[in-house]
Amino acid sequence: MATDTMPSAEDLNATDEAVLSDINKYDFITQTTGVFKARKGINADIVRQISEMKGEPQWMLDFRLRSLEIFESKPMPKWGGAINIDFDDIYYYLKPTDHQGKTWEDVPQEIKETFDRLGIPEAERKYLAGVKAQFESEVVYGSLQEDLAEKGVIFTDTDTAVREHPELLREYFGKIIPPEDNKFAALNSAVWSGGSFIYVPPGVKIEFPLQAYFRINAESMGQFERTLIIVDEGAEIHYVEGCTAPMYSTESLHSAVVEIIVKKNGRCRYTTIQNWANNIYNLVTKRAMAYQDALMEWIDGNLGSQLTMKYPAVYMMEPGARGEILSIAFSSKGQHQDAGAKLVHCAPNTSGRIISKSISKNGGRSSYRGLCKVEEGATGAKSNVVCDALILDPQSRSDTYPYIEVEEQQVQIEHEASVSRIGEEQLFYLMSRGLSEAEASSMIVSGFIEPLVKELPMEYAVEMNRLIELQMEGSVG
Amino acid sequence: MTAIAESGFDTSAFEALLNDRTAEPKWLSQRRRDSWKAFEQTAWPNGKEEEWMRTDIRLFKLDKFSSAPAAQPGSAAALLSHGVELGGRIESTNGRTDLSELDADLAEQGVIFGGLSQVAIEHSDAVEKAFARGVVSPTYDRFAMLNDACWTGGVFLQVPKGVHIEKPLHAISRLGGEGAADLSKTVVVLGDGAEATLLMETLSEDAIAAGLHNGTIEIVLGRGAKLRFVSLQNWNNRTWHFAHQKACVGREAQLQWTIGALGARLAKVNQQVALVGPDAEAQVNGVMFTQGKQHLCYNTHQHHEAAYCRSDLLYKAALQDQSRTVWRGMIKVDEAGQRTDAYQRNDNLMLSKDARADSIPGLEIEADDVRCTHGSTSGRVDDHQIFYAMARGFTRQEAVRMIVTGFFQQVFDRITIDSVREALGEAIGARVQDLPNQ
Amino acid sequence: MNDFHSVGPTTDFPDPSSQLVEVDEIAVVLIHAAGHFYALDDVCTHDGGPLSDGDLCVEEATPTIACPRHGAQFALADGAAVTMPATKATQAHEVKVEGGQVYVRLCDSHANTRK
Repeated sequence: MATDTMPSAEDLNATDEAVLSDINKYDFITQTTGVFKARKGINADIVRQISEMKGEPQWMLDFRLRSLEIFESKPMPKWGGAINIDFDDIYYYLKPTDHQGKTWEDVPQEIKETFDRLGIPEAERKYLAGVKAQFESEVVYGSLQEDLAEKGVIFTDTDTAVREHPELLREYFGKIIPPEDNKFAALNSAVWSGGSFIYVPPGVKIEFPLQAYFRINAESMGQFERTLIIVDEGAEIHYVEGCTAPMYSTESLHSAVVEIIVKKNGRCRYTTIQNWANNIYNLVTKRAMAYQDALMEWIDGNLGSQLTMKYPAVYMMEPGARGEILSIAFSSKGQHQDAGAKLVHCAPNTSGRIISKSISKNGGRSSYRGLCKVEEGATGAKSNVVCDALILDPQSRSDTYPYIEVEEQQVQIEHEASVSRIGEEQLFYLMSRGLSEAEASSMIVSGFIEPLVKELPMEYAVEMNRLIELQMEGSVG
Repeated sequence: MTAIAESGFDTSAFEALLNDRTAEPKWLSQRRRDSWKAFEQTAWPNGKEEEWMRTDIRLFKLDKFSSAPAAQPGSAAALLSHGVELGGRIESTNGRTDLSELDADLAEQGVIFGGLSQVAIEHSDAVEKAFARGVVSPTYDRFAMLNDACWTGGVFLQVPKGVHIEKPLHAISRLGGEGAADLSKTVVVLGDGAEATLLMETLSEDAIAAGLHNGTIEIVLGRGAKLRFVSLQNWNNRTWHFAHQKACVGREAQLQWTIGALGARLAKVNQQVALVGPDAEAQVNGVMFTQGKQHLCYNTHQHHEAAYCRSDLLYKAALQDQSRTVWRGMIKVDEAGQRTDAYQRNDNLMLSKDARADSIPGLEIEADDVRCTHGSTSGRVDDHQIFYAMARGFTRQEAVRMIVTGFFQQVFDRITIDSVREALGEAIGARVQDLPNQ
Repeated sequence: MNDFHSVGPTTDFPDPSSQLVEVDEIAVVLIHAAGHFYALDDVCTHDGGPLSDGDLCVEEATPTIACPRHGAQFALADGAAVTMPATKATQAHEVKVEGGQVYVRLCDSHANTRK
């Protein structure tokens, strides 16, 4: 039986085909030599094979197999965007290198080149605490400043955590987002690989953002990372996840699950800049549970992908919990960003805020889809939702679907939304100051998304502005 | 009138209905047959569909209802026509017209106003033309199919080009008797430059009998036409209410549409306004007031199909006891809808900790030069206001009534017909309950 | 205090089974599992899904019924929400069997949230 699962020579070389494309900094290919590559398609054998390759305990294999059943039994969502995925034409597991890189020198050359172009080493040299770079399915490089380790912070990839921190992981894994939650959470639960596991002990405050880059770099390859962050009482963390990806001609699927627990008085901020290639489906489930007086913040920027469906959620479980979500979407030609946020008030005196800003241009479609729910008993809950959309041309489209469900009487829920285009007066004013129309539009857009940019760590803010400039190129005239 | 045996809505009941209506034009009988066939081949909507996810109709059993005529005309008192000089009126019970009147001078000017069953025979062409527009799709869902096959009640109003009707027209339909059903179609067609005010209300003869209403409303406004349309739904809390309603507002036409939704055990209403010609305007006002275990679901849709149109929607709901409201509102702007100015707002006042309000505004915009905004709030009665009022000698119930009235004032202020404001206030007042101590 | 309503003979409810019954205009799921009868509001507190269409999980220490929409599980005994994405209990009702008939009495107290 084990021999059936060995990769063939063809499989090993499958990623070697060079793909020609217009190279720019965010649109390039690095050749990789996959050491192991699973076959395309998904079934119980593939799932067993993944689990066996990872040397997982029985409970995880059982969890994967149960999740596969759920995935197969659930229909595709009929709302959101148009999803056209051939699940049999996707690689569910790809292990790019034999060993985890211990130091930068150990990381394979072509992977380094990819990272160099993204500027990760520079960023690390400056002031980053740890870098977890996920290249394809496995974490290949990781470092964590020693003083954090001394404080008892655990920052590792989730596969390692299954082996080294089984009890802590098992207490929360799949509990915040059970595989039954939705079809893509079930898929991730069946075939997940990589992702980050973080534990911050009580009272430990990590002063600098922990970062991880995720990339897709193999054609038709799914990426199913699984992240679990546990912020213990009074602890603080800022986690940053950034994505860029080369262009490919056939669809790829990225379907992550991110589970977060923020205990009493803890704080967690999770920042994402999503810039997948424009042929990638990005279908992600992110959910956090915040306990007494804890604060959970999601900062979610979506610029890339063909279709993104992602609604980071904060469940406020105990009195005083807070949830803040800042969502920015930018969709251009052929793109649909169906992004948003969920706030669920489960306890008294919880408060939340959602700010959503979206920009559509060149026929792109941006949708805000959100939920603000007040459970019975959550008296004194307060939520405020503000959605603003900017449409840059008549071919583009903007949608807003803010769901509000109130089951309590002593609550205050407010929602405001507006959709508009760049004001001619604004343009005229800027152009009278000597700016071209393109420059003026770009400046207005930058101002529009400033609330996101100013929340980012500096090097991300720089990158974000550069990405916006690229997105805006040629949008006018 | 022959008494026909309609035990529910099975094939024999449908055939009996056709046999009783042999005077109907042939096109209409055929249309009924087509829709009946579709009805027989279609399942009820279920909770797996997004539109029905929040509205559970598994306890709705069609066979408990029948569209048999009432033993006698109903007599429950009208509210909207109180103190109003009417230009015409229609009364009906269980989907059968009891009375139909129209001022002679209006009839002379070519205005058609009457029970739809009668008008379909007397003005077959006008009705056929109106139906052919397909404002509401007869195959939208199983309720639309049932309605299109088995309707007996409803009102037809057609106002010729340039005719202004100063006095409001009034229609009341009542439900009486256990298991009574009212399947109705209301059609309003205003020619270019025509003007009218139509007040419609529905209610039950008593508070106990279970009833069913399955209806459609189709409104077409020609260029520059103006319609004020009021529909007050005040059934008892054991009535199932399913409706598809749509208005097509033509170039430079104006529609003011006010809905009062107070009754029904469960209501599922799709209310659509399509602005089909440039510079059209629609104002939609909704008042929802619930109690007990009532479940009211109103899906509104503002569709901007042409440029320079304005739509303004305000729905306000106050909820008591364990009742629940669902408001889903969509503003859709087509690529042609440049210079659209669209607004929607939903405010909910929670009067009980067990009540639940879902508010789902939505924008779908494909034009880039638009102003579309929406807002939504949910809140509760301010204790201080109640204490203040009680300190002034009011009972708690009176205080709540005052606060509820205050909450709805913003909608009342938009209603330009005095009798409607008063009727709504009165109907709401009658349903205010003593607020439990907090 | 509400009355007991008959929802049918015990033979209508084999073990194990769960089905929708109407009690005083409320949709209730009546469950017969491991020799016990249970009645819950047939409504998932997460998003209103029909529990009577979901799976029974009777092998666990806390027997539950799962919502078919997102898998939220509710304890049969008291309606407590056992798993995400539900955080609030669904209402449990009183059941009794007498003379081969199953009776349900509605309970109105809304307590019992998760954790």
